[in-house]
Amino acid sequence: MAEKTCPVRKTVVYLSDQIDSGRLTDPKGRRISEQIMQLAEEIAEGAAGSDHLSAIDSLIKEYFYPKSPVQNQEIGVRLKGILDEHREVFISHIETKNCPSHDCGKLAPSPCQMACPAGIDIPTYLGLIAEGRDAEAIEVIRRDNPLPWVCGLICTRPCEMMCVRARIDTPVSIKFLKAFAAERAMSDRAYKNPEKKEANGKKICVVGAGPGGISAAYYLALMGYEVRVIESLPVPGGMMMVGIPRYRLPREVIDREVAMIEELGVTFSYNTVFGKDVTFEALKKEGYEAFFIAIGAHKAWDLGIKGEKEFPKVIEAVKFLKDVALGEHHVPGKQVVVIGGGNVAIDAARTSLRLGAEAVTIAYRRSRTQMPADIEEVEQAEEEGIEFSFLTIPKEIVGENDLITGLDCIKAELIQKQGSDRLAPVPILGKDFIIKADAVISAIGQYVDDEGMQVFDKMSWTRRGTIEVNHASMETTMPGVFAAGDAVSGPATVIEAIGGGKRAAESIDRYLSNIPQPRMPKIPIRHRTEAPFEMSASRKMTLKPAQMPMLSVDRRRTMFQQVELGYDEESVRREASRCLRCDICRRCGKCVEICRDKMGIDALKLGYMDFDDPSETDFRATSEKCILCGACAANCENKAIVIEEENGQRMLKLCGTILNKQEIQYCEECNAILPSAEYMQFISRKTGTAKKVTEKRLLCNNCQRKLGAKINVSTRPVNRI
Amino acid sequence: MQFQRGDKIEVYKKSVDEAWEPYMDDFIGLHGFITDPDTTINDPDSLIRVSLVGVGTHRLPQDALRLIGKP
Repeated sequence: MAEKTCPVRKTVVYLSDQIDSGRLTDPKGRRISEQIMQLAEEIAEGAAGSDHLSAIDSLIKEYFYPKSPVQNQEIGVRLKGILDEHREVFISHIETKNCPSHDCGKLAPSPCQMACPAGIDIPTYLGLIAEGRDAEAIEVIRRDNPLPWVCGLICTRPCEMMCVRARIDTPVSIKFLKAFAAERAMSDRAYKNPEKKEANGKKICVVGAGPGGISAAYYLALMGYEVRVIESLPVPGGMMMVGIPRYRLPREVIDREVAMIEELGVTFSYNTVFGKDVTFEALKKEGYEAFFIAIGAHKAWDLGIKGEKEFPKVIEAVKFLKDVALGEHHVPGKQVVVIGGGNVAIDAARTSLRLGAEAVTIAYRRSRTQMPADIEEVEQAEEEGIEFSFLTIPKEIVGENDLITGLDCIKAELIQKQGSDRLAPVPILGKDFIIKADAVISAIGQYVDDEGMQVFDKMSWTRRGTIEVNHASMETTMPGVFAAGDAVSGPATVIEAIGGGKRAAESIDRYLSNIPQPRMPKIPIRHRTEAPFEMSASRKMTLKPAQMPMLSVDRRRTMFQQVELGYDEESVRREASRCLRCDICRRCGKCVEICRDKMGIDALKLGYMDFDDPSETDFRATSEKCILCGACAANCENKAIVIEEENGQRMLKLCGTILNKQEIQYCEECNAILPSAEYMQFISRKTGTAKKVTEKRLLCNNCQRKLGAKINVSTRPVNRI
Repeated sequence: MQFQRGDKIEVYKKSVDEAWEPYMDDFIGLHGFITDPDTTINDPDSLIRVSLVGVGTHRLPQDALRLIGKP
């Protein structure tokens, strides 16, 4: 079972128990323990400085002074063990104010950030975009992802899937906001590289200029390494360039972001095949000390059906898309059938249409809901007129004299096979049919081409045909050789390759600096916390999700122009401010409980906080019942919900959203600031205080008491002795 | 496919797959969501991407996961 308590929190609890138990009779041992506990508490609260950890190390040594009692030494050994095993977590708390296990309440990455394979600090950059600080937003993104513009257009956006705003209406359109900020920063010439470290004289070779290779090259260059990227294609980008069509990702976007990486001194050798044009031995002789392999997965699986090898117009989707990307714009046929259900199949179909195919059909052996392709891509394909034939198993490609006439298929049904809980497509006997076609494109998946890799003789491969790595460091079984991207995961996503490249860069640096590798992959970290964007509850609730303007369908059927035209500036700022700032509010629900159960008011209708069973959320409803007592704010560890007084008003704010506000009132006698009238009534009901003088006057508690006493003295008979 | 995007899962046991690494033992008992169920061909053997509470996003073998909720 996993040890889920944060080691920083565990240290605090352990020391607190030791101190409270009375077992620590030695004054020196007690002093050391108290000092370490204080330092550990500061680390837990995100208040520690860079010297905290070394200070704890020194204090632990002090436990072992000559003739130190055994209980001191026991504590010293225990603490040293925790620190040795979890040093990275302590460092992460100190450097990033990040407690991934949420034990240290104030410091938790948001769900969107945790879902991002590159761990981008999303709430921070959304906060910056909402304020129009696009270049700063790009700076934040590039700490974890050197290609924000590319990802802003084609990321599979797991972050949006986890977006908490979806529990209220729809997720924040994180992906396109990133694209807008990158484009604007680039246009304003404000898209800048960070300062790189001084050159350290060490050389690294990166094999493959895809997202993984580019990512590793970027971070290594920033660390001061001399990086050379070997690429067999004539262009950078790998699958981003030759696998993703231009109507989704214009070439200029890749070129501009790669140019930023070249600006750091990274050299790209195009049209250079590793193992042929340049060899491992030669590179080693040139002084390359580490190698990073990011060769992708470019080989297509065979369909394994009759006719596949007989007709020239049976085309592999990856080759077709690559040829088109490199300028060979030839229509594959008038009636095209694409076999497969992933994004590559959709891309091949939409590309065929743009090249002039009259009819394009996607044949997929399972149902619509089981297609691995993105739902938006599927919908856009349908809008453009692509036909889908679901539950269709291809049997044979038929034709005459090298010319295809059709794809012989059989209808399938999904059946749960014995011993499996998966629904498998099973052919229905006699339900054969032919889809008319003169070209068939196969898009049933790719695998890693290992040509040229044999030179890495100590590098192991998995049974899936991918490079075996330790995922914590992306180090292969051959020392000094690292790998990431599709070559490791099999065909996956751009953002995953970027995350892997970044992780590999950090590990290469550790390898060359003789620092031990981490035990497990790094957990996403927050870089900073932006102040939340202030707005009324009504506005926060009624901000409508931005609608993406699209290219006309006629153009989409005929040209490779970008389909999604991007938001205008007003929509971007509005969309970014829909973010609920889950980096500040971790949705523990304590505010709701206090208000409802302890105060009996139940003013907070924040159903989105319940993760498993979200109910209705309405920020506007708070003002109907809230008495501005501040109990919620007083119990919020993260200061996500606060009471603020400014410009003569008292406001209750949740991550910048003003849930309730009232004019501040003052005592008529002494001019002291008064709580809200509702709160004073609430207290009066609870305490039953004499109110005669206060019924028509606004008075603070002190003045109420004073005046109440006078009234009582003057109105009651005095007993005379 | 057994798992779909958005499915809530639990890492309930150690996988026998070669892709299971020692640090993944720490994940047993954790909950999370499927963020990329299968990149290509609905293969029950493929590694799928999950976002686990508190530890971020990882690719894991499917035999270590069990479904605990649909989106």
